Amino acid sequence: MLTMTQIRKSFGGIEVLHGVDFTVEPGQVHALVGHNGAGKSTLMKVLGGLYHDYSGTITLDGRTQHLRTPKESLDAGVAIIYQDFALVPDLDVAHNIALGREPGGRGWGGVAHRALARRSAQEAERFGITLPMTTPVRRLGVADQQLTEIVRALARDVSYLVMDEPTARLAPAERAQLFRIIAQLAERGVGVVYISHFLDEVVEVADVVTVLRDGAVRAVGPASDWTADTLARELVGEDEIGDRPVVPAPGGPAAPARSETGAGAARLEVRALAVEGRPPTDLTVAAGEIVALAGLVGSGRTRWARALIGDLRTEGRVLVDGRPLGRRNPRTSARAGLLLVPEDRKVNGLVLTGSVRENIELTALGTHLSRGGLVRLATVDRVVRDLLARFRVLPPRPEILTKNLSGGNAQKVLVARAVAARPKAIVLDQPTAGVDIGAKAELHTQVRSMAAAGTAVVVISDDLDEMLDLADRVVVLANGQMIQDAPAASFDRASLLAAMSRTAVA
Amino acid sequence: MSAVTETSDAAQTPLWRRVTTALGRRGGSSLLAGILALLVLSQLLTTPAFGRWANIANILQQNSIIGIVACGMLLMIILGGFDLSVGAVGAMSSVLAATVIVHVGTPAGIVAAVLAGLAVGAANGAFVALLGMSPFVVTLGTQSVVLGGLFVATQANPVYGVPESFTRLGLGRIAGIPIVTIIFAAVVVVIWATLRFSRFGHYVYAVGGNREAARLGGVNVPLVTIGTYAIGGTLAGLAGVLLLAQTGIGQPAAASTWALSAIAAVVVGGVPLSGGVGKVSAAVLGTFLLGVVSNALNLNGVSSYWQPMVTGFVILIAVGIDSYQRQRRASR
Repeated sequence: MLTMTQIRKSFGGIEVLHGVDFTVEPGQVHALVGHNGAGKSTLMKVLGGLYHDYSGTITLDGRTQHLRTPKESLDAGVAIIYQDFALVPDLDVAHNIALGREPGGRGWGGVAHRALARRSAQEAERFGITLPMTTPVRRLGVADQQLTEIVRALARDVSYLVMDEPTARLAPAERAQLFRIIAQLAERGVGVVYISHFLDEVVEVADVVTVLRDGAVRAVGPASDWTADTLARELVGEDEIGDRPVVPAPGGPAAPARSETGAGAARLEVRALAVEGRPPTDLTVAAGEIVALAGLVGSGRTRWARALIGDLRTEGRVLVDGRPLGRRNPRTSARAGLLLVPEDRKVNGLVLTGSVRENIELTALGTHLSRGGLVRLATVDRVVRDLLARFRVLPPRPEILTKNLSGGNAQKVLVARAVAARPKAIVLDQPTAGVDIGAKAELHTQVRSMAAAGTAVVVISDDLDEMLDLADRVVVLANGQMIQDAPAASFDRASLLAAMSRTAVA
Repeated sequence: MSAVTETSDAAQTPLWRRVTTALGRRGGSSLLAGILALLVLSQLLTTPAFGRWANIANILQQNSIIGIVACGMLLMIILGGFDLSVGAVGAMSSVLAATVIVHVGTPAGIVAAVLAGLAVGAANGAFVALLGMSPFVVTLGTQSVVLGGLFVATQANPVYGVPESFTRLGLGRIAGIPIVTIIFAAVVVVIWATLRFSRFGHYVYAVGGNREAARLGGVNVPLVTIGTYAIGGTLAGLAGVLLLAQTGIGQPAAASTWALSAIAAVVVGGVPLSGGVGKVSAAVLGTFLLGVVSNALNLNGVSSYWQPMVTGFVILIAVGIDSYQRQRRASR
C-alpha cells in the first residue's frame, strides 16, 4: 500500500499543499481530480521525487521512503508518466523502453542491441501492448508514445503507476484501448493513480476518487458514489455554483445567440485544398458559423489546418470574404485575417520566455498594433488589459511570464492573441486540451462571442461534448477526406463517435 | 522515521544564500550590479589610483568598443544565436576603413567599413534563416572566410597612413568623456529603444523565445533573423572603425578576441544563451564588470598572464550563481 500522510509543500513561503493524505492500494485505480492549481501535479511531483523540501511521510508497503530524487522514487517502485513525455525522440521504441537498463554486450560499455530489442518486445507483450519496436519514437503518434512510456515504466517492475492527464491528447478509440490496459494493470496488482479533467472518464475508470481543492483533500470515496455532475460540484466547491457554470451546458453559459441571420455570407471558402497528395477537400464557413472538424488522431485534422494557413505546401485555393489568398504562408494568412490557434500551446503556441503582453500582441503587431514599424505601446497596453479582463486571466498582469501561468490561463492567453488580431476566420486546434472546467467554459464563451461578432470559426477537438456544444455544424474527417457534413444538432455523442470511428476502418 | 524536511526558514538559511536570493530575485543584472558595486567599492578602498578620473576615463575608453560589439551580440543572443565572426568583421572593417581613408577620404572610409560589416552580418543571417544552418557553423565559416580574405588582400601587412585628425575620434574626449564612450552610449540608447519601441525588437524576443510560435503567429522569421545579424555585423563594423581610430593602424590580426569577449560580457550580464530574454543593461554591466576586473588586476600589478584565468573565473562564478538562481526558481 502506498500512503502519503500530511504532505505539505511550499513555494517561496506560500504553502500550496496543506497536509494532504493520499492512499493507493495495490490493484486499485485511484483517480485524483481537482481544478488547475488544486495541487494535483504538486502532490504527484512530491511522489515522483522532484522536490527535496516537502514535509510529511510517505510509506510504501509499510516502509518509510525518502523520495528526494526521481531515482529514489523509481527504486521505491513508483513511476510517473507526465503529460509531456520523457522519451528520446531519435531512439527507437525498444531502446526507449530499455533506457537506463540496457543489457550489457561484449567489451566495456557495450550494448547487446539484439537482446535488448527482444527483451523490450517481450516486456510490451506481457502487458498485451503491441508497438513498432524499431520505429524512432519521433515518428510515433501520441497514443503509441504514451504506450511506450507505460511499457518503460512497467518494465521496471513498479508497483505504482501515476498517469497525469493520459487521455488529454488521445482520440476516443485510443482512450478505450488505454482504459483496457489500465484495467489489466490493476488486475495484475499495480496501483494506478489517474489524474484527469475528464470527469465522466474518471467515474468510468476509477475505483476510488480523491478530490483536491486549494491544496487540501475535500472528498475521498468509491467512484460509484459519484457522477460526473456531482464530482464537478465537489471540484469547484459549492459556493461557486451560484455564479459560475460547472459544466458547460449545451448552448453555453451566457452565450451570445448563434448567428441570428441564419446562414451568413461565406467568410471562409476552401476550394480543392489537397494536403500532401490526399484527395482535395472543400469547405465553406459562413460569418458567425462555428464548424467542428471531427476525426480520430491521424485523420489529418491538424495537417489540414496547417495547410489551410499555408504552413504546408498544398494545392487548392482559400478565399476570405470572397478574396483569394495568393501565396499563402502563416504571415500572409494572418494579414488577410485567417488565423490558426495551434495545438500544444507549449511547443508551438506560446513564447514561454515572454510576458503575457508579448504573447498577446504578437500577431496583431503585424497590423493595427504598430505604425511605421513602431509599437503603439499605449494601445497594446489597453488591448492587453481589456483581453485579460475579458478572458478572466489570473493574475490579470500583462508583465507576468507565460511560463508561470497555469494551463488554463496559458490557453486563454493563446486564444486572446488571436482575438487581438481581429480575425475574419479562425481555426482553433484543441482549444481546451488539459484545461480545467472553469477555464474551459470561459474559453467556450469567448469562442461563441468571436462567432457572434461575425468570425468564421473552425474548431478541432478530441472532446465530443465540446464539439457538440460549440458547433453549428460538424464535418467529419478521415484519412484527410471530408466524409460527412451535417448540423451538430443531428448528432449525439454516440453517433458522432460512431461517425468518426466507422470511417477510420474504411 | 519520517521524510520530514524543513521548509526554507529564514533563520536557518545561510547568509550568503539569503543575499544571493535577494539579489537574484530581481534578475541576473541586478545581481551583477551588486557584484560590480562591491568590486568598485573594494577597489576604491584599497587602491587610491582606481578612483581617479584619469583611471575611470581609461576604463571607459578601453571598454567602449567591446561594449558596442556586445550590444550587437546581445540582439543575436536574444534571438537564440550568436556571432563568432564579429572579430574578423572588426579587423576587416578597420583595414578597409584605413585603406579607403588613405586613398579616398575619411567619410567614405567610415561608410564603406560599416556597410561591409552590415553585408557580412546580413549574409550570416541569410545562411541561418534561409538554410536553417546553426549560427555556430555559419559564423565560424564566415569568420574564417573574412579573415582569410583579409590576409590574402593585405599579405598580412598593416595599413598605415591614417591622418592624425582621425585618431581624435578614437582617443579624443569631450568634457573629459572619451568620444568612443559617447558613441557607445548612443548605441546603447538606440538598441534599448529598438528592443522597447520597435516592432522588430518585439519580434526578436518572440523569435528567440519560440521560433515556431512566432512563425505560426505571423512573424516573418527569416527577415527578423537577417535583420538581427545585420545589426550585429554593422555594430562590429562600427567597432572596427573606432579601433582604427584608436590605434591609427589598420591591423589584419586585430580584434581576434572580440567574439568571445562580447559573448562573455552578455552572458556575465545574466543573459542565457537559450534566447528569448535579455536587456541592454546586461550587456553594459557585463562589459564593465570584465573591464573593471581587468583594470583592477593591472593597477595591482598582477601579471597579464593571470588575467585570462581571472576573467574565466569571473564568468564561471557570475553565470554559475545566475544559473543556480534560475534553477531554484524553476523548481519552486
